[in-house]
Amino acid sequence: MEYSSEVVRRFDAPRNAGELPHGTPGLVAGEAEDRTLHVWIRFQLQVIDGAIQAARFAAFGCPHTVAAASLVAERLEGRSVGDVALLDVRALQDDLGVPVEKLGKLLRIEDALTACRRALDRLDTDVKKDD
Amino acid sequence: MNAEIYLDYAATAPLDPEVVAVMRECLEREFANPSSQHPAGRRARAVVEAARAQVAARVGAAPQHIVFTSGATEANNLALLGMLSPRGGSRPHLVTSRIEHKSVLDTARALEQAGVAVSYVEADAAGHVVPGSVAQAIRADTVLVSIMHVNNETGVIQDIPAIGALCRERGVRLHVDAAQSIGKLPLTLGKAPIDLCSLTAHKVCGPKGVGALYVAPGVALVPQMHGGEQERGLRAGTLATHQIAGMGRAYELAAPEREGPRLAALRDDLWERLQAIAGVRANGDPARRAPHLLNVTFPGVEGESLRLALRDLAVSAGSACAADSPEASHVLTGMGLSDTLAASSLRFSVGRFTTAAEVERAAERVAAEVARLRALAALAPGWCAA
Repeated sequence: MEYSSEVVRRFDAPRNAGELPHGTPGLVAGEAEDRTLHVWIRFQLQVIDGAIQAARFAAFGCPHTVAAASLVAERLEGRSVGDVALLDVRALQDDLGVPVEKLGKLLRIEDALTACRRALDRLDTDVKKDD
Repeated sequence: MNAEIYLDYAATAPLDPEVVAVMRECLEREFANPSSQHPAGRRARAVVEAARAQVAARVGAAPQHIVFTSGATEANNLALLGMLSPRGGSRPHLVTSRIEHKSVLDTARALEQAGVAVSYVEADAAGHVVPGSVAQAIRADTVLVSIMHVNNETGVIQDIPAIGALCRERGVRLHVDAAQSIGKLPLTLGKAPIDLCSLTAHKVCGPKGVGALYVAPGVALVPQMHGGEQERGLRAGTLATHQIAGMGRAYELAAPEREGPRLAALRDDLWERLQAIAGVRANGDPARRAPHLLNVTFPGVEGESLRLALRDLAVSAGSACAADSPEASHVLTGMGLSDTLAASSLRFSVGRFTTAAEVERAAERVAAEVARLRALAALAPGWCAA
């Protein structure tokens, strides 16, 4: 398997890897997996007033998956939560030079972010109920 | 990134400088066709025959029973196709195992498409092809049993004496692929119940592109290449004198009695160091394993990522001959490992030029990268490590 220099760079030293401290305010998490593709991805987002203050990822997967998750987490920081839905996995594929046969794994990144948005919706609903 | 450490001798080995010297001499001087009758041709023929004697001596056979080929893959093809190509409307039966090398399994599948019946014996969880299972698979129309001596992914040594004995008892020919055992374990083909045995040069510090098939007296093979009477008519084509000379010297240098214990010590040292990593497991029966090979599963680490992380180590995920396939190792899944665990496994193989310092450094690198990748997958569900 050939890897682009960007994939190798991010795989060797992935930015935004790890967990945000327990008790961080505005924290939501979402994950997705596909056993047949040997991939699991989890994102944590700290959302304050609709803005993503911090993003972290964890991943069990191939180098392309790790690099893409790192890139997504890095790009999400400072964006609005509405931007999460705008993430284009195919653009990631181009940016990192991911071969087409790995697209299924990248789609799990989309699924994990969707899970984050649902967690965020639940959080909003709970806040409104408290109001 | 540090200099690469080569731990993939099961895939291939560097040329021994003494082999290079013999080959260079041959390339420069003995260019004539060994089949030619003039003095230059006869000199080239003498080189070939000297190499044949060297190969035969290493495997305990008579020189006239060694047929040079382009490698073990061709030898495996010649053995299986030569014994089983359907003739005269008969439909012979082949018995082999699920954990054979791709060059046997793919040839068996080709034979199936040509109308040959094939039975595939399963391996047990320790990687053995149990002789009793082979016995059960043999039928009245079985012509050949093909079982490898040492498995190329796990290093497990198959019980060839027992399988050979039962083949003799049932009147069935036995083919053994010894590509992985040559130079690591002693072989005495002339006394063993083996009818056909595939050999290679490049795994014992000889050149690539040359191998041999041992054909026991009385075994009739149908040639698979046509266009010449070389190799007693069994393998047409001008003999590659320099390759054959290199193989001969490599076999002369290979000394399993001396080299085996040294390789086993290196392999055992590597395993002892790797056991410091939580959850690791070695695949294959440790009591019946060739001295140079160690297959280890690292649960909780995705295989492709592990290989890229360890790109300063030349190791394999499984057979190098199947490295282009995204599928998990058929050998490890055949032994009961899940696809995930099979993909999380690495094959380490030491050889003539491996040093203790390289083993120590390799173990350190593996431990560091496994820890890093496991940290990346913290909180991953259980299936990632099962």
